[in-house]
Amino acid sequence: MQQFSLLLTSLPDGILLGFVYGLAAMGLTLIWGVMNVINLSHGPIIALGMFGTFFLFMRAGVNPYVGLIPIAVVGVLLGVLIYVIAVHRVINAPHLSSLLATFSVNMIIIGLGTAALTTSPYNVDFSAGSFKIGPVTLLGTRLIAALVTMLFTGGLYLFLYRTRPGKFIRAVANNRAAAELMGVPSTRILALSFGLGTMLAMVSGALIATFFPFSILAGGSYELKSFVIGVLGGLGNPIGALFGGLILGVIEGIIPAFLETSWVPVIEFALFVLILLVRPSGLFGAKK
Amino acid sequence: MALLEIKDVTSGYGDVQILWGSTLSLEKGKLTSLVGGNGVGKTTLLRTIMGLLPPWSGTITFDGRDVSRLPAYTKAEMGLVLVPEGRQLFTDMTVLENLEMGATSQRARPHFARNLERVYEMFPRLKERSAQKAGTLSGGEQQMLAVARGIMADPIVLIIDELSLGLAPVLVLQLFDSLKLLREEGITLLLVEQNVQLALAISDYGFVLAEGKVELEGPARKLIQDKHIRAAYLGL
Repeated sequence: MQQFSLLLTSLPDGILLGFVYGLAAMGLTLIWGVMNVINLSHGPIIALGMFGTFFLFMRAGVNPYVGLIPIAVVGVLLGVLIYVIAVHRVINAPHLSSLLATFSVNMIIIGLGTAALTTSPYNVDFSAGSFKIGPVTLLGTRLIAALVTMLFTGGLYLFLYRTRPGKFIRAVANNRAAAELMGVPSTRILALSFGLGTMLAMVSGALIATFFPFSILAGGSYELKSFVIGVLGGLGNPIGALFGGLILGVIEGIIPAFLETSWVPVIEFALFVLILLVRPSGLFGAKK
Repeated sequence: MALLEIKDVTSGYGDVQILWGSTLSLEKGKLTSLVGGNGVGKTTLLRTIMGLLPPWSGTITFDGRDVSRLPAYTKAEMGLVLVPEGRQLFTDMTVLENLEMGATSQRARPHFARNLERVYEMFPRLKERSAQKAGTLSGGEQQMLAVARGIMADPIVLIIDELSLGLAPVLVLQLFDSLKLLREEGITLLLVEQNVQLALAISDYGFVLAEGKVELEGPARKLIQDKHIRAAYLGL
């Protein structure tokens, strides 16, 4: 009975958190899907999003949800910059080169971040109240974050399937040389995709900052979760990432009712390995 | 003056030289074919013309303009369009989306509706399957889509690499008929084929490529009767 009441709080929490995990993973999986680059700077970029909320809200008094707009814009620009400086020159090289390139970006952001912000925890003191539905209490920040995620997922879907630049992204992901032959400037499209992936990561970080304390190193665990989610939802399938995120959220919501919380990563990564063994293209399929 | 002129072009991959000074030109409004056996550098030459591969030396002139070093995506804007070997469709996108991608360039966009009607008329099968993913089409339908996507680009010069490869003879004849139609509409065509006899039979002019160089050229009707060609490529 006690477990049941614990489940009533932890499961809805986990599910709402899962949305935001999905948003972070969407950024990782979009970049992989378009250009076959595993972005190892994903974690620190999430952390930069967290600090974006911190500085905008705690220092400038901007509402965290209004703050998402400048953070998203900066995210796109930062992603384009990272692509141009670090990724473009190794885009046709073997995977190891792009792994090392994005890992360098990862180290640079963490290094600069540590120098400027230290590694001690920061906290965004923001509350959006809570909502009671029967015996279940939902935190306002998490509920809004889930809604924002749905908005971004829907927006991403419409962008990829209904707009011309979105279709260019899908065409370049599908067959870069053919897209180039049709007149698509593929380098620009790759830069844009990296910008969008970075933007999604930063926005997810900006939302997570309203739940938990964080430091410049805090992105790492979300990066790892993004890998698990990417594999769950099918790496290269941004919409599948949302479902992957929800699955992870459910797992994180159920485990604390039965086991120590420290079991969460053990079970998540066991699942990761299992999926890779049994269904390497992900539960929801992915690009070939 | 020739519409597309390739002069002494050399190119290759890494240290491996494939083209050893290829020279050929396309006359406006004509159907020209470039024939030759497997591995003589036909596809390499096309990749070089399109800018997917940089030329090591030599020049490529299109409509009086040096285009040797321009990136591939600018070629479609000029009206120089390639239907690549192996179709290279956007397999995860629908037939209609593939056709939309064909009309990416500014020059093709205003004519989208007209060209769509034109390709649907030419290949009614594509209209029936417009909402289907390109990867689920049969081989023949995929080749039709590859050609149709090229037409959507509103080409001045349309280059088609290995149209007949892996297709049933009846389909090949149907596709070749559509090429004649395109020539009548004023499109300059370059047909690159291993199927030497078929290509020369419908062409105005032909080039024979061997070991990265043009070995022989002339009016297609003459080439097809050439002793050397009959022996080397037609098995006669």
